[in-house]
Amino acid sequence: MRRITLACTALALAMTVAPALAKDYLLTGAKPDKLVLIDAKARKVEQVFTVPDAGTGIFTITPAPDGRTAYVILNQWESVAGIDLTTGQQVFRADLSSAGERVKATFAMDISPDGKELFVIESPVKLLPDQYQVQPARIAVFDTSAGIGAKPVRVLPAPRRTAVLMAAKDGSKLYALSWDIYVLDPKTGAELGRHPLRTWQRANFSAPDVLDVWPQWDATGIFSTPYYTARTDLDASNPDAFKTGLATLDLASGEFQTVDFESTSAIIFSSAINPARPTEAYGVYTTLSKIDRAKGSLLQRIELDHTYYTVNVASDGSELYVGGTMDDVGIYDTATFERLGEIAIPGGADQVLASLRLIQR
Amino acid sequence: MRKSWLLPCLIAGLWLAAPAAEAAQDEGPLLAERCGSCHQTTSGNGLTRIDEQRKTPEAWDMTLVRMVQFHGVELSDDERARLVKHLADRQGLAPSETDGFRYILERQPGVIESPPDAELATLCARCHSYARIALQRRTEDEWRKLAHFHLGQFPTAEYQALGRDRNWWEIASEQAPGQLAELFPLKSEAWDRWQQRPAAALAGDWRFVGHHPGRGGYHGTMTLAATGDDRYDLKLQLTYDDGETASGQGAGILYTGYEWRGRSEVGSTTSLQVMALAEDGTTMTGRSFLADQDAVGGQLTMTRLDASPQILAVTPGYVRAGEGRKLAIQGVGLAGDVDLGPGVTVDNVLSADDQTIVVHVQAAADAALGGRSVKVGTIAADQALVVYDRIDRLSVEPPYTIARVGGAGGAVPPVAAQFEAIAWQNGADGAPGTADDLRIGALPARWSTDNFDATAVALKDAAHAGSMQAGGLFMPSGAGPNPARPFETNNAGNLKVLAAVDDAGREVTGEGQLIVTVQRWNDPPIR
Ligand code: HEC
Ligand code: HEC
Repeated sequence: MRRITLACTALALAMTVAPALAKDYLLTGAKPDKLVLIDAKARKVEQVFTVPDAGTGIFTITPAPDGRTAYVILNQWESVAGIDLTTGQQVFRADLSSAGERVKATFAMDISPDGKELFVIESPVKLLPDQYQVQPARIAVFDTSAGIGAKPVRVLPAPRRTAVLMAAKDGSKLYALSWDIYVLDPKTGAELGRHPLRTWQRANFSAPDVLDVWPQWDATGIFSTPYYTARTDLDASNPDAFKTGLATLDLASGEFQTVDFESTSAIIFSSAINPARPTEAYGVYTTLSKIDRAKGSLLQRIELDHTYYTVNVASDGSELYVGGTMDDVGIYDTATFERLGEIAIPGGADQVLASLRLIQR
Repeated sequence: MRKSWLLPCLIAGLWLAAPAAEAAQDEGPLLAERCGSCHQTTSGNGLTRIDEQRKTPEAWDMTLVRMVQFHGVELSDDERARLVKHLADRQGLAPSETDGFRYILERQPGVIESPPDAELATLCARCHSYARIALQRRTEDEWRKLAHFHLGQFPTAEYQALGRDRNWWEIASEQAPGQLAELFPLKSEAWDRWQQRPAAALAGDWRFVGHHPGRGGYHGTMTLAATGDDRYDLKLQLTYDDGETASGQGAGILYTGYEWRGRSEVGSTTSLQVMALAEDGTTMTGRSFLADQDAVGGQLTMTRLDASPQILAVTPGYVRAGEGRKLAIQGVGLAGDVDLGPGVTVDNVLSADDQTIVVHVQAAADAALGGRSVKVGTIAADQALVVYDRIDRLSVEPPYTIARVGGAGGAVPPVAAQFEAIAWQNGADGAPGTADDLRIGALPARWSTDNFDATAVALKDAAHAGSMQAGGLFMPSGAGPNPARPFETNNAGNLKVLAAVDDAGREVTGEGQLIVTVQRWNDPPIR
């Protein structure tokens, strides 16, 4: 026993910058103003940061690629803050609204692979003395080194109701999940293409319903979202009339896939893919589902003790984490779905709509 | 957090007492002072936005409350009341423009709307009623500005279910305004005509008849005394069909020349009246309900005591062939003999004056089944009495409704549900549920609840969600998690509502559905 420990320590010393030894940390938010860093395998809360002027809470969380900073949407969606994950200092702040315009960052945000640019969806409304004027949706691009009081360096046109923004791994594209997944040029916002969801052409299937606001591709670089569709050739009373499927987008290769995996029998809020067994995806809400996305089948489903909105997977694929909604992160074995433990959010604060992100450092 | 329409301040604005004024006040200066800093004066000497719409007193009150809550306008209760009156009088709806949608003003429970335009209803009536929309009149531009307000104030509207499956914003801001302006235009002949009407004067004595589900009918007299500017003090005497009598007092306001909003205190009970005055000024119809439980209430009709003779109600409105029973006829100017048609004879007049006649009647075993007129002297009420010989089925009304958990230390009290059992006889075709079925009327029933489906069985909804009381009143349980339930879930539930009556030794039963759900934190005057 002792020898093994020593050997490990020696190895660790020899390879101080080795990514293989980097540890998995989870990031989540808790009401009203906490950003919570969790040492996943140690099952313990490593640090709790208090974010200034958070309003009612923290929504989307986007870690920098080096895992040293996290950007969060907060303040009733009207601000973005960057928090140094070592010191807890606010190192970046963009307050989006101004006197004549109220701007809400509705869910979607991502960072360029080089960590230099932050993309934030904006849903603006002009506030005139006696009326509101809704403005086109747009993407504000920030320089992450702009510090406090950051202003956008570029503003790009964006499809309305964009719920997730995803930067391609090589930085050449920006994907926007709206009615379809729009492929945008991150420099100009020009539409380069589209992966069809609402405009898919599947005979006898309705347009799918998708509501996904969850960036959970940390371990794989593959975005995934559940969708719901109806067979237009079957009576609604037919048990096969409603189908649940999984849409996936590989942020490295750009490959986009959809696969139906069950006749709808549970609501799934969000999903994530296993980096060790990439055909396996997990879906969460009141139940936890294991999906074979190659075969298009449901492999396993268990009841959860309460509702969880978010799920993310350890970088070795061995376990998964469910969070959001209430005040704990649950841990499950990806092979057996055995509950391995949980991490309580300090103070019993609810996570509500906060993202659950995985970083390594 | 901003204040919201919690139950205690529910619809309060319309019943706020304002100082009595001799004549109609012109609140133009107050409007200009409180609103003019943001709403510019127009070329027609009005104020932007405010001039471009017409709506009910409740809707004006909601807008004023929004100006206070969202835009920091300062209004005292008195100013709020005066402005609602001013705006509703000058920019209200004609009576005919409220036809078919008064249920939302009357706060009728369990109404399932059937909007004429399904697409528009999906676009606009998923957060609130379709009636909220149909009770407004605007220019196209104003309907568009309203769409801008919606997404500007609720940016997630286009992300929610039934928002994200369509280009919600594009449709709401580009297509819908034109369509709405056509359906519900600012200018209308009905309104032009209504504005020419002579002022209504309500002072004097009114005879009323009403129905309180679970309790039965009541009737009485209300005396209105003018206190100025369409405001009245009221005094009332009432008698329930079960013989109990009571008296009370209160006040009311007439908006827009026909929208009566009254409030009465009888004992410790406060009731609200939402009524419309008919064009001839002699009759008001609407609903009365408990101020703190608006699901508990029923239809109410009032007629001036000096109106032309008429029958207002016959209670109960049924008699069984081959049996005798007591009937009461309520009305004004009643005089002469009671004639119930062939086969139903009056065998004793128990009491008679010009407002109430109580008779004992005998229905022959072979009396014709169905509805028939009731005549008193020269006046008649059509279909006022039903002769039946068998109860074939019971329906529960409302057939589907919701109650809400509450109380238990929380800010929002529980919301009860009130049911009634309606007896029916199959018509000549012998089949239930067909057009010739005979509606006999409301009967006292034995009430209970059961689990609606397998999920409800598993969660023991019937045991936890609340209790059914005599008279068909369902009181939901307390709010919050219940440690006795799986997942410590709250006391929500999905219940069958069961009614049973005896008919000549047979038990006849009926079933409705009740969803017991969580509190409504925000309960505006127009849902
Ligand atoms: C501080 C500025 C401000 C003041 C003062 C103000 N309003 Fe407004 N009002 C607004 C704004 C902003 C809007 C547009 C957003 C909205 O509809 O809430 C608006 C909209 C309206 C509308 C259109 C609402 C609709 O349903 O489309 C009406 C009517 C209105 N106001 C009435 C009033 C009245 C009456 C007063 C005075 C009691 C008043 N306002 C005072 C700012 C103001
Ligand atoms: C996302 C939910 C939602 C949808 C969808 C929605 N509404 Fe509303 N609407 C509201 C709320 C909330 C208010 C109350 C605002 C307030 O507090 O005064 C409101 C208020 C209104 C009012 C009253 C405004 C006033 O001050 O008189 C009207 C009329 C109305 N809506 C019409 C519409 C129409 C038309 C549509 C479709 C284009 C629509 N609504 C769609 C939520 C919604």
